[in-house]
Amino acid sequence: MSPLLVTILKVLLIYGGVITLAAGMTLAERKVSAWIQWRIGPNRVGPFGTLQPLADGIKFIFKEELIPDGANKFLFRLAPVLAAAPAMMAIAVIPFAGEITLFGVHTTLSIADIPISALYVVAVSGLGVYGVILGGWSSNSKYSLLGGLRASAQMVSYELSLILAILSIVVLSGSLDLRAIVAAQAGGIQDWNLWRQPLAFGLFVIATFAETNRHPFDFAECEPELVGGFHTEYSSMKFALFFLGEYVAMIVMASMTATLFLGGPEVPFWHGAPWFVQLFAFLAKTSVFLFLFLWVRWTLPRFRFDQLMRLGWKVMLPLSLANVFLTGLVVSFF
Amino acid sequence: MAETLFYLLGALALAFAVGVVRARMPLFSVLSLLGSFFCLSGIYLLLGFPFLAATQLLVYAGAIMVLFLFVIMLLNLGDEAQLERHAGLSLSGRRLFVGGTAAALLGIVGLAAAQMNTTFVAGEVPQGRALDDLPTLAGLLFTRYMLPFEAASLLLLATMVGVIVLAKRQRGTSAVEAEAEAPALPAPPLSSGAPR
Repeated sequence: MSPLLVTILKVLLIYGGVITLAAGMTLAERKVSAWIQWRIGPNRVGPFGTLQPLADGIKFIFKEELIPDGANKFLFRLAPVLAAAPAMMAIAVIPFAGEITLFGVHTTLSIADIPISALYVVAVSGLGVYGVILGGWSSNSKYSLLGGLRASAQMVSYELSLILAILSIVVLSGSLDLRAIVAAQAGGIQDWNLWRQPLAFGLFVIATFAETNRHPFDFAECEPELVGGFHTEYSSMKFALFFLGEYVAMIVMASMTATLFLGGPEVPFWHGAPWFVQLFAFLAKTSVFLFLFLWVRWTLPRFRFDQLMRLGWKVMLPLSLANVFLTGLVVSFF
Repeated sequence: MAETLFYLLGALALAFAVGVVRARMPLFSVLSLLGSFFCLSGIYLLLGFPFLAATQLLVYAGAIMVLFLFVIMLLNLGDEAQLERHAGLSLSGRRLFVGGTAAALLGIVGLAAAQMNTTFVAGEVPQGRALDDLPTLAGLLFTRYMLPFEAASLLLLATMVGVIVLAKRQRGTSAVEAEAEAPALPAPPLSSGAPR
């Protein structure tokens, strides 16, 4: 089989897997919220409600699609695409597992291995803000506009801390390549960046919540104040695309946390494990952070917007700058 | 293949650039500029410089254009024709002015490009290493080109400080004016822990 066909196969497998995972996350969200609130959750469609995402998808397709009067039609249609595409693009460089032989072709289990993959993830996922801001503006509704403006201000502010947290890992590993960062943590649990960079880990996790617009930073939606935030006016599959973008972004951020701080696909105490064990380890580490997203959402109340901005600019940014500075000092003198 | 892509991306970048000045709504100008940046980033990739391509997306598309969008949305700039009464020049006058400036800039850039010696960085890259090798690039930036690099950052810092000073002064004068207008009332407590 030619390498091109293998690449196409990898693209289909990885995107199919990620979108299935995103659909599973919508079910997990409802199940976890139900458990936390002492309810049962969806249990009618399929065994234990497992076919609920499918039913939701069919419902989205058959819903009437409304475009509000006075909305900018071109941008209104463009915004959901711009919201979903960046998260999908970022998936391309995530190292799901190490080396694998597919139909006689020796390759790695990620769509593209590029030397600047950490930078690529940040650059591409930073573009997700356009979907939010354009969706909010083009709807011609004050709730949408306010939601879009708030969300984009928040995403731009927390992106700085996110990048600086990644930068301290990059300084430590000496490479922008996610595979090299994983290789630098290959020695076992004690080599994970989690122990070497605990502050960066905390900052990164908090920033991922803000970047994906999740609780306690979900100012994009903020139901009690803004109805539905930037996607108030959206219906049918356009709304589903925003939803899909949010969940894929969560998967990207959770897998980045696992890659940067928990050794990615490296299996503890078993260096050079076969690819399916590595894939399992990677998914297990990622699920921890995916569960954290849900757990926090149904536990913590929402911040106030000025608290959010103060936390971002006056606490997280100085801390992450100091962390990069200290890391630089340690790397150059010790 | 690479050459076809280059011409395609170049043509697209130019078309988007024309869109920036031709669009009637400022929002579409911003989006066109965004498209142009994307094409430029693609050209950097074709040149074998992925770092520059990613940085272009990160800095310009991810941060600066978002701020542009912000300003346009907060000022709620609609169709250009609605701005007519606010502007000193008429629409055609402004177009003439903008077109003339653009032509002059293009002329200057063309002259500079004709005289430029494009090997000025490549000549200093150590033997056997490429410029897209990040440690090499960083090394050059922090040794040979330290002064220009720091000068540029100092310029940006000065701009930031200047903007903050201007914004602060405006707030200060308006507070003084408010006091002058209502002298009977006690002076409002300034900076008493109010959120800024």
